[in-house]
Amino acid sequence: MSLALGLVIIPLLAALLMLLWPRLARGLQLAAALLCTILATMLLQLVQQEGSQQLFIGGWNPLLAIRWQADSVTALLLLLSAVLHLLVSGYALAVQQRDKLAAAFWPLSSLLLASLQALWLSRDLFNLYVCLELLGMVAVALVTLSGDKAMRPALHYLLFSLFASLCYLLGVALLYGAYGALDLPLLQGQLQANSLTAAALVLITLGLMLKAAWWPLHLWLPAAHAAAPAPVSALLSALVVKGPLFILVLVWTTLAPAAFLNVAAYAFLVCALGALLLAGVAALRTPYSKTLVAYSTVAQLGYAMLALALMLSFNLPVFTAALWLFVMAHALAKAACFLSIGEMQQTLGVKKVAQLKGASQTMPLAMFAFAVAGGSLIGLPPSGGFLAKWVMLLGLWQAQQYFLLLVLLVATLVSAAYIFRVVVLAFDRAEPTAPDFSPQLLPQWLALLPALAVWAMAFFSMPLLAILQQELS
Amino acid sequence: MGLLLFDLVLATVVLLLAGTAIFSRNLTHAVMLFMAFGVMMALAWARLAAPDLALAEAAIGAGLTGALCFTALVRQPAALDSKVATSLLPICFVALITAALLFSVWQIPVSPNPALSHEVSVALPQSGVAHPVTAVLLNFRSWDTLLELLVLLLALLGAQQAQSSLTLYAGWSLSLSWSRLLSPLIILLTGYLLWRGAAAPGGAFQAGALLASGLVVLRLNQQLTWLSWQNPWVRLAALSGLLVFVLTGLFSLLWSSSRLWLEWPTAYAGAVILGIESFATLAIAVTLTLLVVGEPTEERADA
Repeated sequence: MSLALGLVIIPLLAALLMLLWPRLARGLQLAAALLCTILATMLLQLVQQEGSQQLFIGGWNPLLAIRWQADSVTALLLLLSAVLHLLVSGYALAVQQRDKLAAAFWPLSSLLLASLQALWLSRDLFNLYVCLELLGMVAVALVTLSGDKAMRPALHYLLFSLFASLCYLLGVALLYGAYGALDLPLLQGQLQANSLTAAALVLITLGLMLKAAWWPLHLWLPAAHAAAPAPVSALLSALVVKGPLFILVLVWTTLAPAAFLNVAAYAFLVCALGALLLAGVAALRTPYSKTLVAYSTVAQLGYAMLALALMLSFNLPVFTAALWLFVMAHALAKAACFLSIGEMQQTLGVKKVAQLKGASQTMPLAMFAFAVAGGSLIGLPPSGGFLAKWVMLLGLWQAQQYFLLLVLLVATLVSAAYIFRVVVLAFDRAEPTAPDFSPQLLPQWLALLPALAVWAMAFFSMPLLAILQQELS
Repeated sequence: MGLLLFDLVLATVVLLLAGTAIFSRNLTHAVMLFMAFGVMMALAWARLAAPDLALAEAAIGAGLTGALCFTALVRQPAALDSKVATSLLPICFVALITAALLFSVWQIPVSPNPALSHEVSVALPQSGVAHPVTAVLLNFRSWDTLLELLVLLLALLGAQQAQSSLTLYAGWSLSLSWSRLLSPLIILLTGYLLWRGAAAPGGAFQAGALLASGLVVLRLNQQLTWLSWQNPWVRLAALSGLLVFVLTGLFSLLWSSSRLWLEWPTAYAGAVILGIESFATLAIAVTLTLLVVGEPTEERADA
């Protein structure tokens, strides 16, 4: 577990040092990101070889201590966040002078990584609350880096996030009052199906849904993610909304009494359908390119919700695999989308979708990155998105849910519509929007990297599925 | 009977103050009512036999939050009057949620699960301190406390992005001399709270909040001009709690006999906890002060 400890402590210490010596910030950032990626890879290998690892912080017994657990899903998520952090840091380094990225970006993004890693590892309800709170605070601080115009969305984000934290905390307090423990594995199977547990679970779920921007509680997300600087939006959309999702899955798969599962599955299913269809339509209608990508996050989270709902009602291992595949594919694809859109916005000096006209000619690399990532969002082969969707379709076929198969098809068409809305415009080369300055190659390549990674996911589908299946057996 | 009457009056006053703070049209009045609400809440916690919470509520809820609200009000360009919501819908919503919560709270067992408190009392002798709350905060669940310190730091980092336009007016001589008279007393009380935390209610958060209130009063009177985030020593002080915490944890991980993260050897646990708490107090005080006062522009004092 010292590897996992390193994954949390290195970015934390790096951020503290960056605050002390702002001059060293960039070097420290890159070094910490590289080190974390290496450690996360080693941890994944270790978990594959020796099974899941556990740590009781401080060495106390389970009732007193906070439990950390690195199972294969956690190890994958640790690696995912380290890799994305490295890629986004690289992009931020490449554009920081041009975009006048605030100096506070470096310590804040390192703290974001630290709090995310702490969240993936924790298996303690109250510690998860602290991690959530931390994640929310970092995210809000990062949104404010855009200056005055971002203050309003950031404040909304902060208020929603605080309210959500309080809901979650109240739920945890109720559970703690009733059962006298906070450790998830200890509480597993202990909860009785009474109205106290129901109230606690409803509060926890509402809080987490608000934090994860699940439809219909997503209202803060598009404004906040669209207002932030491009590297920040990439981190927020790719990783931050996945934190509460992870806790939600933990709570519903380990804590919830069996009697509640069906009701919860129906509720999640309705929200998932709403997200997939309505948020998709919103993405289709919005005039601003960054808001389009932000709405697409809300819509894509619908797949995760759908997978969770199916997990709860059918208990088939494929849906668990589909859920985490979605999370990974979406994270990589969304990072590429935000970075490439951000790059095009900066270079062309435009904000609206319509003004991206002819971008395939003026900025072919960035547009290619967006198209590749968009392909994964739609679910076109070969890509991580296709893999996730395929696994889910297989599961639906197994469970004989033909109506949902149809819904999934419609949702795919909607996502194809909003992606092609941009791509078609970009190939309209009649009167292209002229760039403000000659496009820079390096940031475009860096924006392309996550898109290529999501492509590569398709080639590593067997090992990925094997890792995820190992968890289930 | 007397205590029951006291509790009833306290509960009514708390609810009344909360209501008037929400529905007050004048924001200054609302802030004052909110501070009074904080004091009453501290009393309520004390009555609920939670003196640690009472101290924290009195120092943070009633004291610093009030100061924070007032400095925020001063930064407003014009006098703002809040619009009181007239719609019944939110009130119905809140009432519904309250009813559901009351119903579920009713079902919490009267006597809590004894396993945990038994566990704490068994492990307490090894924790290095005699007060169970401090043992939980700085030994059993010290990881939570470390992250909480980080949350506080992040609040400051986030607030720094918003431009501050606070002007410090030239000190009024009476408040200036009063603040100077107050400061040694506050330092003494801070030390006492910190030291007491090992055996009785008290500790880093309460002591830090108290020290911060002293610093804020001095700073608002144009003293301590070096207290700014630009000053590297101030930054070091604001980060010291976290740095010491993490470095002690690393030390325990790399060089102690058990090689566990955040594991204090029983023989030194008391000293380690006191060390961490001292730096945490300093860090909390500096962070809270910077959060309340920010980087103000000063008006020259005229003689």
